[in-house]
Amino acid sequence: MRNGLKILSAALVSGALLLARAALADYTVEAVSNGGTIEGVVKLSGTAPKIAPIDVTKNQDYCGQSIPSPVYSVGKDGGLQNVEVFLKDITKGKALSTNTISLVNEHCMFNPRVQGANVGQQIKISSNDPVLHNTHPQNASTNATIYNIALPFKGFSVTKPLPAVPELIKVKCDAHEWMHAWIWELDNPYFATTGDDGHFTIKDVPPGTYTLVAWHEAAGEKPTPVTVSAGKTVTVNIQLAAAKAP
Amino acid sequence: MTAMSTRIVTLAPALLTLLIMAGRDLAQDEAGDARQGKVVYEQYCANCHGEKGDGNGPYGQDTTPVPRDFRQGTFKWRSTPSGSLPTDADLEKTLINGLFGTSMSGFAETLTHRQRLDVIAYIKTFSPRFATEKPEAPIEIPHEPPYSAESVTRGEAAYKKMNCAQCHGDEGQGDGESADDLTDDWGNPIVPYDLTEGHLKCGNNGSDIYRVFITGLNGTPMPSFADSISPAEAWDLVHFIQSLSPDYPKNVTGAPPTPVGKGEQ
Repeated sequence: MRNGLKILSAALVSGALLLARAALADYTVEAVSNGGTIEGVVKLSGTAPKIAPIDVTKNQDYCGQSIPSPVYSVGKDGGLQNVEVFLKDITKGKALSTNTISLVNEHCMFNPRVQGANVGQQIKISSNDPVLHNTHPQNASTNATIYNIALPFKGFSVTKPLPAVPELIKVKCDAHEWMHAWIWELDNPYFATTGDDGHFTIKDVPPGTYTLVAWHEAAGEKPTPVTVSAGKTVTVNIQLAAAKAP
Repeated sequence: MTAMSTRIVTLAPALLTLLIMAGRDLAQDEAGDARQGKVVYEQYCANCHGEKGDGNGPYGQDTTPVPRDFRQGTFKWRSTPSGSLPTDADLEKTLINGLFGTSMSGFAETLTHRQRLDVIAYIKTFSPRFATEKPEAPIEIPHEPPYSAESVTRGEAAYKKMNCAQCHGDEGQGDGESADDLTDDWGNPIVPYDLTEGHLKCGNNGSDIYRVFITGLNGTPMPSFADSISPAEAWDLVHFIQSLSPDYPKNVTGAPPTPVGKGEQ
């Protein structure tokens, strides 16, 4: 009986492992010779809600008294910064990103606030501040700790692997509770983060029809269908609705 | 090389494989039976940790801290690096010793070793992580140098260099600048430990304190200093923190004192 249970649980475990592997194996790398480009601008519909500046309550001698809210960073012509734009359900295409991404603790904020990454990439976490920070990435939906690294002094840096499974990661610094960053860890390399003019470009996309997702920390997520033709550039301009003021 | 020694070298990998396989069989015998563990769990654990392992048992609601929610596979006390699952031995240590200063009592007398292994096997079914991940290898704790006045003085400097005061305060009383507004992974308020109280939740031995610096406490704001502190600095810091305890002799003779905190087993 006990052996039977062992076999059953072993079968369940390998089943779960197979499922996890299948989820990863959904993306196949192949040469893209005549891919298209998706580009566009993300804008906020209407005016950006006014959000009070961050009230700095710790290390005021270094961090200052207050920091302007970074949530809605709207640039020239209404472009919205820090929107992650990525293709969903794409099953084949160019190779995954392999460079080491960076997250800097600077002036008691994380930089960059939002970025994309691929499974298998590493992250260099560093501090330019003479105060203790801790970089504490968590699964954004469950809050489960991925790891929690102390950055006790200025100039410290360490490189760590990202989690083995794609997920939206929310990073916090417990020592300075206003510090947040987001990393969209994806299983495909078709992602971009909007710059200060709200613009994004995604290159080398195999011709086909896909779902383009735009995600913003406060305005939420919006899918847009997009059709890419060989060697052509398709423009997708996206409007996100601001969340109601908290 | 002689023919004999050549033969030994050739055989060595095969012997090693046999040894590893034997070890694996032993390890399997050591694994608990989750079905038996369910019976133990429902009798001894569910009242606080809840029948579903969500920490919502009827007696757990008024405790501080609240009972651990097992569904994330997140455990504070581990021998493994930051973010890793705990080993079975880690979980059994918590079952044997309990967690000082919390409602978690020790089950050294109440449960047999076999029952503890069974209930650990059952607790692991609450989180899917245990089915797909393995705990990382436990951290290495080097030999402890002697407790000395010089080490304590150097440890005080390490306390400043590592900025421990940010949370634990200049005097180690848990009242640093960032002490307010801290929360754990479940959103519950959590406070930095008052290091002057004389007993630490995860044990008062030098190695227990050393381990916490390196592993951090998963699910809490306490981060891992594995990449920022050297072994020598960490041992000095251990001695400085021990020196804050009223149980420790202030007149240091150079001999390592025996800790007498209530958290010990």
